[in-house]
Amino acid sequence: MGTENPGRQQFPPARPVATPFSVAPPQNMMPFSSSGPVVGSEASGFRPIPPGAPQPMVPSSTHVVGSQASGFRPSPITRFSDPSVPSPPTANVPPIAGQFQRFPAPHFPSTVQAPLSHAPPIGQPLAQPPAPPVSFRPRPQIPPVPMGSPPQTVNPAVPSLSAPYSSSDSMYQAPRPNFQSSFPGYVRMQSNADSQAPPIPPPFPTHQGGYASSAPPPSSYPYLAQPGGYVPHPPVAAPLGMQSRDQMQHFGSGPPSGSIQGLMEDFSSLSIASVPGSIDPGIDSKSLPRPLEGDVEPKLLAEMYPMNCDPRYLRLTTSAIPSSQSLSSRWHLPLGAIICPLAEAPDGEEVPVVNFTSTGIIRCRRCRTYVNPFVTFTDSGRKWRCNICSLLNDVPGEYFAHLDASGIRIDLDQRPELTKGSVEFVAPTEYMMRPPMPPVYFFLIDVSISAVRSGMIEIVAQTIRSCLDELPGFPRTQIGFATFDSAIHFYNMKSSLTQPQMMVVSDLDDIFVPLPDDLLVNLSESRSVVEAFLDSLPSMFNDNANVESAFGPALKAAFMVMNQLGGKLLIFQNTLPSLGVGRLKLRGDDLRVYGTDKENMLRLPEDPFYKQMAAELTKYQISVNVYALSDKYTDIASLGTLAKYTGGQVYYYPSFQSAIHGEKLRNELTRDLTRETAWEAVMRIRCGKGVRFSSYHGNFMLRSTDLMALPAVDCDKAYAAQLSLEDTLLTTPTVYFQVALLYTASCGERRIRVHTAAAPVVADLGEMYRQADCGAIVSLFSRLAIEKTLSHKLEDARNSLQLRIVKALKEYRNLYAVQHRLGGRMIYPESLKFLPLYGLALCRSKPLRGGYADASLDERCSAGYTMVALPVKKLLKLLYPSFIRLDEYLLKASAQVDDLKRLPLAAENLDARGLYLYDDGFRFVIWFGRALSPDIAMNLLGADFAAELLKVNLKERDKEMSRKLMSTLEKFRESDRSYYQQCHLVRQGEQPIEGFLLLSNLVEDQMGGSNGYVDWLLQIHRQVQQNA
Amino acid sequence: MLASNGFVRENWQRRLPFWARSREMVKLTMIARVTDGLPLAEGLDAGRDPQDEFYKQQAKSIFKNFSKGQNEPSRMSIETGPYIFHYIIEGRVCYLTMCDRSYPKKLAFQYLEELKNEFQRVNGDQIETAARPYAFIKFDAFIQKTKKLYLDSRTQRNISKLNDELYEVQQIMTRNVQEVLGVGEKLDQVSEMSSRLTSESRIYADKARDLNRQALIRKWAPVAIVIAIVLLLFWVKNKIW
Repeated sequence: MGTENPGRQQFPPARPVATPFSVAPPQNMMPFSSSGPVVGSEASGFRPIPPGAPQPMVPSSTHVVGSQASGFRPSPITRFSDPSVPSPPTANVPPIAGQFQRFPAPHFPSTVQAPLSHAPPIGQPLAQPPAPPVSFRPRPQIPPVPMGSPPQTVNPAVPSLSAPYSSSDSMYQAPRPNFQSSFPGYVRMQSNADSQAPPIPPPFPTHQGGYASSAPPPSSYPYLAQPGGYVPHPPVAAPLGMQSRDQMQHFGSGPPSGSIQGLMEDFSSLSIASVPGSIDPGIDSKSLPRPLEGDVEPKLLAEMYPMNCDPRYLRLTTSAIPSSQSLSSRWHLPLGAIICPLAEAPDGEEVPVVNFTSTGIIRCRRCRTYVNPFVTFTDSGRKWRCNICSLLNDVPGEYFAHLDASGIRIDLDQRPELTKGSVEFVAPTEYMMRPPMPPVYFFLIDVSISAVRSGMIEIVAQTIRSCLDELPGFPRTQIGFATFDSAIHFYNMKSSLTQPQMMVVSDLDDIFVPLPDDLLVNLSESRSVVEAFLDSLPSMFNDNANVESAFGPALKAAFMVMNQLGGKLLIFQNTLPSLGVGRLKLRGDDLRVYGTDKENMLRLPEDPFYKQMAAELTKYQISVNVYALSDKYTDIASLGTLAKYTGGQVYYYPSFQSAIHGEKLRNELTRDLTRETAWEAVMRIRCGKGVRFSSYHGNFMLRSTDLMALPAVDCDKAYAAQLSLEDTLLTTPTVYFQVALLYTASCGERRIRVHTAAAPVVADLGEMYRQADCGAIVSLFSRLAIEKTLSHKLEDARNSLQLRIVKALKEYRNLYAVQHRLGGRMIYPESLKFLPLYGLALCRSKPLRGGYADASLDERCSAGYTMVALPVKKLLKLLYPSFIRLDEYLLKASAQVDDLKRLPLAAENLDARGLYLYDDGFRFVIWFGRALSPDIAMNLLGADFAAELLKVNLKERDKEMSRKLMSTLEKFRESDRSYYQQCHLVRQGEQPIEGFLLLSNLVEDQMGGSNGYVDWLLQIHRQVQQNA
Repeated sequence: MLASNGFVRENWQRRLPFWARSREMVKLTMIARVTDGLPLAEGLDAGRDPQDEFYKQQAKSIFKNFSKGQNEPSRMSIETGPYIFHYIIEGRVCYLTMCDRSYPKKLAFQYLEELKNEFQRVNGDQIETAARPYAFIKFDAFIQKTKKLYLDSRTQRNISKLNDELYEVQQIMTRNVQEVLGVGEKLDQVSEMSSRLTSESRIYADKARDLNRQALIRKWAPVAIVIAIVLLLFWVKNKIW
């Protein structure tokens, strides 16, 4: 319920939409049943109403308005108009009631929802009478309202209303300004509604009468029915819900108070009983669920198993493991886990280190599970039972401890491995193939003419130089450089030299390394030579006019230098590889290939050289990070393969210019060089009998069926694994998972990081949905969808994603719709309320969106390589970025950063008088409204305020406001440093930049051939209902 | 030729001459604690050649032999294949290196001495308390540096060292790796045989006792049965009477 409530609060706004529906009241009747979408949520809202006071009525009226808005959809509207006429409502009533009843049970718990829904319906009825309508209008901003609600049907109100309402629905289509206005309107409306409330009651009674026929609680039902729109569920609803309650009260006060109360009780009890959310098809875009709070980690599992590792390390897509294969096949969402083994822990929660070298690490003899908090000791402490395979193992003498009366070891408080879900063991010699390697950084830098012109070399050299002190692993760190154009240049950095010595190898067919050592040197010994090299590197190639790139041979050469030790290879690449092995063709510009069966070939590496090379690099513990900075097509699909199979990362800076993108490259390279890194790692995930990890997704190379080779790992990388059931029936009540990462820390210690988690096995599909983790599901979905684009068309990848969401919702519907008679409403589990939106956002994300024209091939591929490695939080933020209005915050001296509220990502929320910040974790876009006070623009941009913003760099100026903005941005950047958010400025109406930077990323808007949020939901809802 | 920045820029057109590529005379350097064979530090030179891996394993078995408490001379050379191990044991730490057979023994021991002195100076007081493998891996930088000084036996520095009469290596024993490892193996065999003897004699004793008992039963069982029948008859007779 709790979650639902928030949503409801939001609803209020949504209500408006609902209102449209409310108009629908009639709809409720008919529409609901007939047009599934509209009805649902609001109805639930009604139930809450009973508790509420008279005022609620008014709100309801507002709702009604909303419904009118919802009217957008043709059918609802028409009905509404009809509604204006009393008759329709009545007819509608009966059906509605039915719906309500159903809904109430689930939603009602939160009375709020009910109110909302009720309101609309009420409004409608009311509308028919004089007063009610008024109340409705209020919401719409259209204070004149009373008319409004009916208005939809009614005339004058209609237009205005339509604008506001539509704002929600129509928003997609257009007028943002209206929306803004609409909001205010809503507020007023609510107030109005209250005042109006009195009139409303009467309508209800009437309605009730109609409803009554169907059922006692009918009155409430009708309301609900109207709301029916999707609205209810959305977190937003909370406020609305409140209103709705009030409305409810009104009702009660009015005619059928007694009956209402009865309904109320009914609802609440129902709600308690069933948690499923339901959405009416009607659409109040405002009340739709939106993850404005960001990612919320599931808490339930942690409460059930307090010794589980923190969800930042391991998140299951559902914390309830299905007990049988037939059950798991009914769970149409992916079953699996997202693992981020080295996630950054806040201070005080670091993973404890345990040294077992004297006894050897305690592991199960059979399945090799590490000792963990879930093992049990028996036989007075001499034996322990493995929690994963149930084998009884001996406790080594040195590890023996007596058990107390309850069978717990008496030394438990000194044994972090027996109390904490995450622990690090110091690895004994058996875990080492060789002595722990030192951190190794080798830089392979393109120095062809385009690299020189872009200014990349200078930034890279400066950044590396500034990071020399912070490279991990002092004093063992090794460093080396090579540059390439049509030849390969090596640098001898022997510590006894004062200047590095350059050696040029131009024989590309037979690569050799000119010196056996001194190309890779100990940083602390050769520090002065390295500095001398970095100081002179930018000027060294100043007048280089070479346009070729011997990338492949240079890569081989770097491999030969590094293969003794392994380490990180950072490649700065600016020109499409044109010489020697691994040369690539321009192939990305072919529009005609899109939509054909060969489309996916574009996203696959063209030359097998890259995959072979990646396999070879991984074998020798070399991880590749590719920095691609080309201004032309550079075949990231091929280059990225190097990063994908070596546990690396792709950074792409299209058309890199040091003046513009320099800061981003500098920050991200710094992060790459200085973050804590685990070297020569392997990771394995063990799980209990009966389940098995069947596939792995992310950037790594699979060494055997379940061993991931990760030459380098850091806190910014996450991996996904899918789970499948091996046995037809799971007999254990609990399934355990254990992630073990064996790695060498930068300090030269070899360690094993072990995360253990337990999850219950359930036989009930509903429980699986209840325990679902939307963030993990979306993460896994995005990896699967991106992988699918490598073998299928984009269209197919999107469709299969949508299909899975539909199947899951259909299954859920089958679970609850019948028993609660939810007829035409959309229902979904509370835990997955954001799933449709994230699904939409995923379809609109760079790797999957549109077709040829919607994103360049390189951008698609680089985003794909990036997204498959992102941790859950970062990914969710990328999919549904935060969108914030800044102008008021900047003007008010007392405003705090925490006060900033995220807005739904729709153009209707843009006010021409406002200043907005869009932050997807990779960049900021600051949008200047056309009517933004010049004062703010002057303060922030100084003399540049009138210039073309694309060319303006936002920098701190000697103005209070400017300082405040910069410190706010800095704060946002600090919260996650894995990528640097470069700031783009754009002014309203500056096309095409505005569309490209911002508008195309407003995922709730309709864009090109893709749906807006409301249409998407309707589409899903329709599909769910087909053959339901 | 000089590039604009002033570094020396050389064009490399051919492969390196043979000597420049394969002059690696010191193949492997390892430092381990004698008491338990725990590796403390190792040079960065361990290649990935499977052949090198084989010799590394041999070196590890040598350490293992030491940890079994066998009394070994504190300095020794051990031949193995085309290479030769040299080691020094001092302060419970073993410094071991593997070189080509052609590499002067004198230089190899001077190299080990140099490592030993530095290692004792830097880590001497922590050796006993080291609890994890490669606890002093940072020492690899010094190993690397020192090794480079000794790589080529023909440098002036090394030639003068070779002529230095002060350092006497002639008495250091040279044995074959099979012998060294074999000693351990033989000892293992002896102890295994003796333990087998113990257990088998115990089994023998058990069996003998068993047989004894059986013989006893066989001898007296008929007599006992007869007596039992007689008694039974008596008892029956009394009862009937």
